[in-house]
Amino acid sequence: MHEGGFYRTNYKEIDMENTSQVPVTVLTGFLGAGKTTLLNRILTEQHGRKYAVIVNEFGEQGIDNDLVVDADEEVFEMNNGCICCTVRGDLIRILSGLMKRADKLDAIIVETTGLADPAPVAQTFFVDQDVADRTKLDAIVTVADAVHLSSQLVDHHEAEEQIAFADVILLNKVELVEDNDIVKVNDRIRKINPFAKIIKTTRCDAPLDEIVGLNAFSLDRVLDIEPDFLESDHDHEHDDDVTSLSFVSDTPLDMDKFQDWFGNLLRTKGQDILRSKGILNFKGEEERYVFQGVHMLMDASPMGPWPKGKNRSSRVVFIGRDLDNMNLKEGFENCKSA
Amino acid sequence: MNADLEKLQETNKTELERRGSIFNIGAPATEAVTTRDQIAVGFGDGTVRFFQSGSDPKTVKAHKGVVLSMTNYEDHVLTGGDDGRFLKISSDGNIEEIFNFGSKWVDCVASHKDTKVCSSGKTVYIWTKNKDKQQTLEHQSTVAGLAFDNKGKRLAVSRYGGVTVWKLNNNKWTASNYTWKGSHGTVTFSPDTKYIVTAMQENQIHGWRINDKADLAMSGYPSKIKSFTWVGDTPYLVTSGSSDAVCWPFDGKEGPMGRKPIVVANGGKELATFVKALNGEKAVFTGFTDGSVLLAEIDESKKPIMIRSSTGAEVSTIAISSDNSQILIGDMKGSILLSSLWADN
Repeated sequence: MHEGGFYRTNYKEIDMENTSQVPVTVLTGFLGAGKTTLLNRILTEQHGRKYAVIVNEFGEQGIDNDLVVDADEEVFEMNNGCICCTVRGDLIRILSGLMKRADKLDAIIVETTGLADPAPVAQTFFVDQDVADRTKLDAIVTVADAVHLSSQLVDHHEAEEQIAFADVILLNKVELVEDNDIVKVNDRIRKINPFAKIIKTTRCDAPLDEIVGLNAFSLDRVLDIEPDFLESDHDHEHDDDVTSLSFVSDTPLDMDKFQDWFGNLLRTKGQDILRSKGILNFKGEEERYVFQGVHMLMDASPMGPWPKGKNRSSRVVFIGRDLDNMNLKEGFENCKSA
Repeated sequence: MNADLEKLQETNKTELERRGSIFNIGAPATEAVTTRDQIAVGFGDGTVRFFQSGSDPKTVKAHKGVVLSMTNYEDHVLTGGDDGRFLKISSDGNIEEIFNFGSKWVDCVASHKDTKVCSSGKTVYIWTKNKDKQQTLEHQSTVAGLAFDNKGKRLAVSRYGGVTVWKLNNNKWTASNYTWKGSHGTVTFSPDTKYIVTAMQENQIHGWRINDKADLAMSGYPSKIKSFTWVGDTPYLVTSGSSDAVCWPFDGKEGPMGRKPIVVANGGKELATFVKALNGEKAVFTGFTDGSVLLAEIDESKKPIMIRSSTGAEVSTIAISSDNSQILIGDMKGSILLSSLWADN
């Protein structure tokens, strides 16, 4: 860790080398999309790993297994003056209990109900020290119903948020949809979130290692985004539509300038920024820096040296509402070192 | 770390470690309580083990998963587990299942004389000897702590947003709410029952004077407070969560209001994770993140004594036998030190 390095308000440095942290996958998606099918696979397949699954009592399944924990979704406000700091109180309690088990868990999967906002669950891993010490948020996985997603996106803003928050999207039930409709729904997802990995599935039949235990939020993907989707899309119909923006710089960034800009941005606009991620090349630093944020909170840390033969370019991505009015491009440009 | 402590650590083993016994259970020690002549410890593998000086511990396979909560009950212990079972266990291995909540955890347990209490989710369940059916008390959010006052007339239930204090009158429980924003965990009554105090999810503890509901906010900790204990006649509420044992005075009309705490038992860069009063003395045992334990008087001019050296695993429980002769220290890696407190024993 660098002394005095990176932005130090509202975030805790994560130790990516610390393997004792159990990875946690957050599973979202509307009722009927196929979450239970996926959970059943995780619990019954012979994968040789020990996964605990935290399910919601209003969920649809009756899974009977020692490693299934019933939870109420209890969203608690923190008493720390941060309006954005809602956490899942039940999750803090259950994760702390699971960490006392004699047998070590390979991963924990947290199911959320279709209408739940994924933010409190993600924020729990940033805000609660005990949770952050022993577990790490691995990925947000959204199961989407290829048949119904388009109409759900129109009717429920929660559906849009679940797509926006996702690191991995299982586009499920593709066998029930015509090929050209799959392309349409795929494009619709890409408009909201160009950065998530989309896996087309029938009965959620994706390999589990593409869903669980991805390590560090699959941040490397930030560098491998398909360029088509990087064009800022200005033809959205409503101001509250979720959009995304991405910026690249081959000029090294000035760490102090970036800290000032980014910290202030999250403090003032964090409510509208659903996700932020990036890989950064700071002037005078040998290592890559990575960060990922949910609303006002973020984790940042150095992530080893740059891969040989790869461009040392910085890239930041934002997914949120009203991004056009945040002067993001100008702010990012101003962070370039002189 | 100060020079005295470093010197103490150099001698590798403390006096108590030399004369005591060390057991490696291999699962985190979650709770320890004192019964009449033994110390019962719950573990992360679901076992409850009864420790007694001079013999091997007796192991009872109690729960499938983790022993989440434990308290003493007559000559037995009551335990709650993540297998949904609320159990009464004797040291000879006899297990009585009081209730099975299925896939719901039994998070908290409490007892007073012949009354057995547990919580699962938002509900508190109460069994009294003369009643076949349990009484239930409902709350708005999951129960995170239970405590009886010393007469067993009031039951404090901590939860999100504060504490509900239930009072028993003519076999009926009536509720009184003490509110403070945030999530409240472990709860305790002061020995004179004038105050209730909770450990919060934030790095602070919160108290209320019971008669007028006046608030006491005690903050400034670098980490969560996982443990507190009442010490001496003053009394002091001694808490973990800092690099020292932080001791708040609860004497006089105002208790700790507007006063500074006394800090003893400095652990250097280690944080205190468990505190336990030495019965009858103005002294406290303080366990740290590295497994070390110090004994300190509540007096900033006195030097602490090293009781247990570093094991590398955080101290998760400390118990003292009922005759004040034995101490048991357990950590998150399942190492147990059982030793006599006094050289003559």
